[in-house]
Amino acid sequence: METIFDLQNVSHSYLDKFEALKDINLTMTAGEQITIIGANGSGKSTLLLILDALIYATSGEVYAFGNPVTEERFNALEDNEFARYFRTKVGFVFQNPDVQLFSSTVFDEIAFGPLQLGLPREDVVKRTEEVMAMLALSNIRDRAPHTLSGGERKKVCIGSILSINPDVLLLDEPTGGLDPRTQLWLTELLQDLAKAGKTIITATHDMNIVEQISTRSIVFGEDHTIRADCSSTEVMNDQELLLSANLIHEHQHWHGELLHKHPHPSEGEHHHEQVAHHVR
Amino acid sequence: MIPDWMNRTETEPYHGAASVAKKKSFGKKTIDGALSFFRESLISETFAKRKGLLQSLDPRVKLISMFVLVVGVTFMTSPWVLLVIYLLTLVLAYFSKIEVLWFVKRVWVFIPIFAGVIVIPMLFNVFLAGNVLVPIATLGNGSHLGPIALPSSIYITQQGTIYVVTFILRVAACVSLAILLFLTTKQDLLFKSLRAIRVPKVYVLTISMCYRYIFLLLDTIADLFTARRSRQITSLPTREEQRWVGGRVGYMLVKSLDTSDKVHQAMISRGFDGDVKLMHDNVMHHRDYVAIVTVLACCVILALISRSIISL
Repeated sequence: METIFDLQNVSHSYLDKFEALKDINLTMTAGEQITIIGANGSGKSTLLLILDALIYATSGEVYAFGNPVTEERFNALEDNEFARYFRTKVGFVFQNPDVQLFSSTVFDEIAFGPLQLGLPREDVVKRTEEVMAMLALSNIRDRAPHTLSGGERKKVCIGSILSINPDVLLLDEPTGGLDPRTQLWLTELLQDLAKAGKTIITATHDMNIVEQISTRSIVFGEDHTIRADCSSTEVMNDQELLLSANLIHEHQHWHGELLHKHPHPSEGEHHHEQVAHHVR
Repeated sequence: MIPDWMNRTETEPYHGAASVAKKKSFGKKTIDGALSFFRESLISETFAKRKGLLQSLDPRVKLISMFVLVVGVTFMTSPWVLLVIYLLTLVLAYFSKIEVLWFVKRVWVFIPIFAGVIVIPMLFNVFLAGNVLVPIATLGNGSHLGPIALPSSIYITQQGTIYVVTFILRVAACVSLAILLFLTTKQDLLFKSLRAIRVPKVYVLTISMCYRYIFLLLDTIADLFTARRSRQITSLPTREEQRWVGGRVGYMLVKSLDTSDKVHQAMISRGFDGDVKLMHDNVMHHRDYVAIVTVLACCVILALISRSIISL
């Protein structure tokens, strides 16, 4: 399998003061479905920004598709073939839809990427129409972003990336703020895209979707280092790891006369299999 | 885990009387202002979707026509011709399915503020000499207002009145044309049509993004004020409120800078390299050509009548 990203001893700090990533070593290959999990502020979003060449490592080396990713290569004024190739290959769904939806209408938003790629006008229209039909957005094609619901905004964000048809999808907290039905829709979409051979890298702290959308999980600790890099099933079964990464906490609550004690993820359903009972 | 004072709860029923505020607070006025902007923009969108005369025209034709008319109006000196153009805007509003009375009110809200205050002094012989129309006061020779010498009598002049009426009609016609353009054209199409008058692409993109993010920032401002009101137990002096608003202005500046950085990242991520590419879907129809020729012809004829080069 082709190596897509290769990070060697990568660290990043904001304003040379606030450390966000510390000594990261990892390799990601084509077709993988990976979740990057960790508590708030552990460095997940920073890693995604580095993978999308929007910010750069303050130390260490980053390679994408076998080429070094450096500020000089991406911010050069002259036409940069690799930068253009990279942008067609990698798509990034931002956590905040308001940041990503900068166009006047849904149609313009989805057409923005293909237009930047320099596709002929007819192809841009065709792609945009097809993506809108696929995501059931055709009926809101002329709506402005501020008039959309949270779920619709997220769909448009994803549509605006899918219209570029990238092989690698980076998603930052994609289920945040979505209702259960839209979360389910998104999970199924990511599964379909995985079947289509896309590489999907998702940063999340929603433990309920980890096993559904990924086969490999990279766990970040609150010290901004990688705590574990193994199969998603292994990670989800390692209670100690999840507790130490502050992804679950020891939770207790009363059911009538019984006190339940069990590990609890920060969001979502209780896992009652591991229950300790105490009588009040 | 919970401190002691948090364990205390008040169970006594409330016996006080609710007082009614006589006027809105500074914060409430700000929220209302932000919300009225949303309301206005939603109303504008509903007009733009109606199947009326101006809505059926290509936005580029409308933009150029309105631009030509506004320039033409500034060259017209006859109040009668200006009145005809103003009445024409009402006819256009009617055929564009805009409630005429609402449209008139919307236009005339701006006139006293922007035109009236500026031009009213020109009514008097103090600023523009002319024949007496309405005498106001007799001051006698050698009257002064500070260092300014005043005439022996103050009156409203015929020439001043014609000047003021002409000026106000000119402003009313221009404002009506501009509002008609905004009401009957979807914002995204209006901004894109700026390309027809050779506005550089980068400005078109910037204007349309500014318009989009005004909503986001207004929404944030409304949320800030609402959150503050929800925690405000007693009303604060206006000075305190203004100080708080000053702080929020700074916060909004920082937030908007941060948002602009992230938006730029999102654009770069989707292949933006500084070369702006926009979609143009507009197709000119027969009616568009007819409209632009009619507007140009009307404009030229009315300008010639106004300058007395041709007479009816």
